[in-house]
Amino acid sequence: MPTLTYLQAISAALRDELRADQRVLLMGEDIGVFGGAFKVTDGFVEEFGTDRVMDTPLAESGIIGTAIGAAVVGMRPVCEMQFSDFISCGFDQLVNVAGKMHYRQGLAVPITVRLPSGGGFSGGPFHSQNPEAWFMHSPGIKVVAPSTAEDAKGLLHSAIHDPNPVCYMEHKHLYRRVKGEVPSGVFETPFTARVARPGSDLVVIAYGAMVSVALEATEDLDGAAVEVLDLRSLVPLDEEAILDAVQRCSKVVIVDEANATCAAGAQVAALIAEKGFESLDGPVVRVATPDVPIPFSPPLEQAVLPGVDRVREACRELLAY
Amino acid sequence: MSSSRTDVLVDVTMPQMGVSVAEGTVVGWRVEPGDRIEAEATICEISTDKIDTEVPSPASGVVTEILVPVGETVDVGTVMARIAVGGGGGVAPAPSPPPDGDTVGPSTAETKSPPPAPSARNGNRRYSPVVQRIAAEHGIDLSQVPGTGRGGRVRKQDVLALVETEEPPLHIESPYRPEPPAPTPAPAPALAPIPGAGGELSRMRRQIGEHMKRSLETAATCTTWIEVDMSRVEAARARLGVTALAFVARASIDAIREHPPLNAWLEGERYTRHADVNLGIAVSLGDEGLIVPVIPRAHELSAEGLAARISDIARRARSRQLTPDDVQGGTFTITNPGQYGSIMATPIINQPQVAILDLEAVVKRPVVVTDADGNDSIAIRPMTILGLSWDHRALDGAQAARFLATIKRHLESVA
Repeated sequence: MPTLTYLQAISAALRDELRADQRVLLMGEDIGVFGGAFKVTDGFVEEFGTDRVMDTPLAESGIIGTAIGAAVVGMRPVCEMQFSDFISCGFDQLVNVAGKMHYRQGLAVPITVRLPSGGGFSGGPFHSQNPEAWFMHSPGIKVVAPSTAEDAKGLLHSAIHDPNPVCYMEHKHLYRRVKGEVPSGVFETPFTARVARPGSDLVVIAYGAMVSVALEATEDLDGAAVEVLDLRSLVPLDEEAILDAVQRCSKVVIVDEANATCAAGAQVAALIAEKGFESLDGPVVRVATPDVPIPFSPPLEQAVLPGVDRVREACRELLAY
Repeated sequence: MSSSRTDVLVDVTMPQMGVSVAEGTVVGWRVEPGDRIEAEATICEISTDKIDTEVPSPASGVVTEILVPVGETVDVGTVMARIAVGGGGGVAPAPSPPPDGDTVGPSTAETKSPPPAPSARNGNRRYSPVVQRIAAEHGIDLSQVPGTGRGGRVRKQDVLALVETEEPPLHIESPYRPEPPAPTPAPAPALAPIPGAGGELSRMRRQIGEHMKRSLETAATCTTWIEVDMSRVEAARARLGVTALAFVARASIDAIREHPPLNAWLEGERYTRHADVNLGIAVSLGDEGLIVPVIPRAHELSAEGLAARISDIARRARSRQLTPDDVQGGTFTITNPGQYGSIMATPIINQPQVAILDLEAVVKRPVVVTDADGNDSIAIRPMTILGLSWDHRALDGAQAARFLATIKRHLESVA
């Protein structure tokens, strides 16, 4: 199996889909001739042409709206939001048109919206957000967030094959930092959680970039056997895997890089309170970014984002409870 | 110095908690002489042979004296304490210790701080859901478990450590253990007590023990069993969202209507049949013991009505909200420990009643069924074994068997 970075795995998935399925096409700002702001689609326009790798105007509403129309007539468009933050401009098309099309008119909208998200590189308030919870709250849209190279590829294949609109949260911080063996060719990763490391004393539930933070923070935690559960999919949320981990470990730390209020982790905490109550041996603890915009200043940004130290401290506290 | 001249002393007496209660024991005072107390605030906790409860203060004022110490049992009506109700309003009357500015506060606080711990309470210890669940499953008294968490908190691993040292019980609900084989070469390791998990029996355990022992010494107890096909009950209860217990209760009441001798008291030579069915339901209080609250005039209720009442009394029993009148006047009792999967027991009659019905687990079993043409086949049916312990002084085996057969007929024809 080839070893790919997270970014190469995304590129490979897109390339494999374009080669395998004539209905697949890519749309986005500067994804063609320039090869994408992060070079995910570098060289694509040469292989697949401008009809299938389309540079668009700076208009997210137009990108998603066009993709919806193409999807309704049978195409499988993949839209790139240059930064996930910009999706607010396409919000109405995604939430009201794509998300509700099947409910209103019985039509499938098999679009995939790629959302390069997350902070950690001093991008400031417009280029660092984690907007996944906006879409979790809106019925009709699936939301996935890979943390490894293999899942980056497999989840993108699954997203493109899925008959529903799927928000694919790709974390910019992981693009070139995460590497791993990735199977060649088209394969699907299910929209379920994955045990990143088994354990029995405490479980850290995370997704996206926070999975590696959780693994590092709990690698050697005074001998405690700490499980790390990688959610991978936020909609649908793998309730069974979450409750199984809670039942075995009884203590839970939930990590979000997103702002704390109503984040994905808040939904996980609510689920545990409702259905995992009798398994708990301590309060459900959350570690998340406080409800502030992401600062430009590097030290300030590091202070607000959940890091290894904060996660480790939260786990220590809860283990001692 | 006692109270000022304008004060009126109000007596705090052992209350009459229901008609049959003659005496009560003080298990804890919430005040001490000199403390101010508001009317209706809890002044002390008492325990009767039926129930534990709190006594509200009859008046607002200052406690002048406490006459019954903790642990003492006195007759109903006995003065337990006196409260001075000030006529002069704002100025609190001087309590018996001289008001010495600095020393009064600290000294009362000091003597008050360790409250006389009533055995049935956990004090300030709180337990997480998982710890309570494991303790309930293994019959562990959490107040005896040393905690290693923050502030001595009992953690999951603490209670699990205790579970691992226990021998797995063969029968969870029953206190009985199989006799060890006669030659026991090395029993010592198995008998090693759990450190810190012994001591004197709680008040409730002692009372249960006395009642059970007295019943066995009084009644000529026999137990009869019958097998019942619960298919129709299972279907009906799934439809109505109620428990099998409610249907068994309703069927028992119907059977009592056909066999009135079962709904009776035998007190010495005196045998009394009752027109009303006041149905006792045994409710487990976890480690502490059990209590048998009564549903009065249960014959007036449908299965759904019984289910609602059973759930209500169980909830109130577990939150210690029963009054003494809730636990008396029972004419027939049902006990239902089947949730753990046990299939048979020999329950002890709740005196002075003459019978008690035991519902254990409903288990799917292969049974021989006969169709309308008389052909036999083997079918899978949810079956249960109902046990009836009855007093041979009041009844005979044939009556018990007929009664059980009537319950069976009702349960197997539930619509």
